[in-house]
Amino acid sequence: MKKTKKPMSARSLIARSILLVLYIAVMLIMVFSGRQHTILIDNKDAPDGSYTAIDGMEVQIDNLEALEYYPGDRDKAVVQGQRHKIKVNMFMEGREFEASFRIPFGQDMILLSVPKLAAGLEPYFEPFTVLESIASDAVEEAPSSFGADSPIGLEESPPAPELIQ
Amino acid sequence: MSPKKKSLSTWFSEYAVVVIFLAITVAAIGPSKLSLNYIIQEVITRLGRNSFLVIALLLPIYAGMGINFAMTLGAMAGQIGLIFAVDWSVAGWQGLVFAFLVGLPISILLGWVSGSVMNRAKGREMVTGYILAFFINGIYQFFVLYLMGSVIPMRNPAIILSRGYGIRNTLNLESVRQSLDNILKVRLGPFSIPLVTFIVIALLCVFIVWFRKTKLGQDMRAVGQDMAVADAAGIPVEKTRIVAIIISTVLACAGQIIFLQNMGNLATYNAHDQTSFFAAAAILVGGASVTHAAIPNVFIGVVLLHAMFIVSPLAGQNLFGSAMIGEYFRQFIGYGVIAISLVLYAWKTRKAADNARSGLRGGVSANGSLGANNKTALDATGKASEGEDSEGKAKGGRA
Repeated sequence: MKKTKKPMSARSLIARSILLVLYIAVMLIMVFSGRQHTILIDNKDAPDGSYTAIDGMEVQIDNLEALEYYPGDRDKAVVQGQRHKIKVNMFMEGREFEASFRIPFGQDMILLSVPKLAAGLEPYFEPFTVLESIASDAVEEAPSSFGADSPIGLEESPPAPELIQ
Repeated sequence: MSPKKKSLSTWFSEYAVVVIFLAITVAAIGPSKLSLNYIIQEVITRLGRNSFLVIALLLPIYAGMGINFAMTLGAMAGQIGLIFAVDWSVAGWQGLVFAFLVGLPISILLGWVSGSVMNRAKGREMVTGYILAFFINGIYQFFVLYLMGSVIPMRNPAIILSRGYGIRNTLNLESVRQSLDNILKVRLGPFSIPLVTFIVIALLCVFIVWFRKTKLGQDMRAVGQDMAVADAAGIPVEKTRIVAIIISTVLACAGQIIFLQNMGNLATYNAHDQTSFFAAAAILVGGASVTHAAIPNVFIGVVLLHAMFIVSPLAGQNLFGSAMIGEYFRQFIGYGVIAISLVLYAWKTRKAADNARSGLRGGVSANGSLGANNKTALDATGKASEGEDSEGKAKGGRA
């Protein structure tokens, strides 16, 4: 005789629903808090002359290492999450200020103009698109043999066997 | 044969693999000319990297299903999770959790498929799992090579092949590289210890110990001892076996993520190929068999196998002038140790079955002991008396 399946009890249904909600919630938290963005910190003159580059400054994003910038400099900071803080110390003017900003979730890279921020102009950051090659066809195959995860296997691949002709 | 001689030979047959391996590794340390500090640091790193994967093999062994070569399926699920983590630019430890959450339902589904197939191939779980891994590998290749980027939208063009669909051969996992290891690193003298990784592994060990004491864990052990008796006792044998494989596959998914975050790059199409072989070799080197395994076997095995992996290429280079010899040697040892373990297991099972038959006849057993003593042989295998034919095939001769 074929066994009939027991209907799911209300308690079991609630437990499963809670688990599903928890699963989705944790995933969303991870995505929002772990999403990586690149901030290009720019210290250049405006094309229309509305602001000029800062003559020497130290910029720190969140708790990352503070870097010095001079006119024409551009560097990048890789951050996680959407809310960030920028701390600027202008050498010549002796002025120091902080600002908070929020990177849109879908934006991989933004260009943040510090002179524009210092001049109080909005918006001081804009989306920036570039094709970044994070994977290369040149590295065709990682070693997959037994224990090939050894430093020798990875860094100095063994010499190719000579062909016997 | 004197009892002392007999116990020595029994001990050697039990630990032959460990003894041989230890001897080879110790002998290779000198010629490798590596400092002891370097070897210890490397072993610590590799313990953190590989232990989780090896622990994933324990539950199927408890459930009497041998070594779960289908753990590769879980590794594939973990890799799919990591591909999505890179695609969505989810970095750091959050990227690892995200990858696991993506891989979780996939590994549960694959574990269920794997367990169901193994239930239809009772007594041949290992070879079934091995072949199943080949089959699912084809589906994985199809999924990653064709569906990703065409049917499944990928937002990061840098990870897509230049033709517009399919994932590149090698992915740089820079965004999640060592993000678990680097949460908290402790220096102990000259050694750097990735504490959080070891805490995660310790928690898994605690889980395994706790799980064994639960109703399900006890059921698994009962099923592993004797399926017919377990069934007669009202234990849902097939369901229990499927659960063991699902848990193992999910743990393999997490283990592969931990492994790859430490490595820092992902060979998209072959990183999972030898996951199960490596894990199987490690647990067997640690003194486990396809029927008996414990947590200490995992750590002894990882330490011994990796100590050998570290020293053998340089020993080969210094002794024979070619690192290639060392590479061949460790491949040979890796596969060889699995072969030795399986042969020893088959030999022991057959011997136990012979002893059991002799005991039933009331005669003298093959190893010279009297029939009355053959209860030991029966208990040792736990299944020797269950209808094994003269070829020892019925239950014992897996794979």
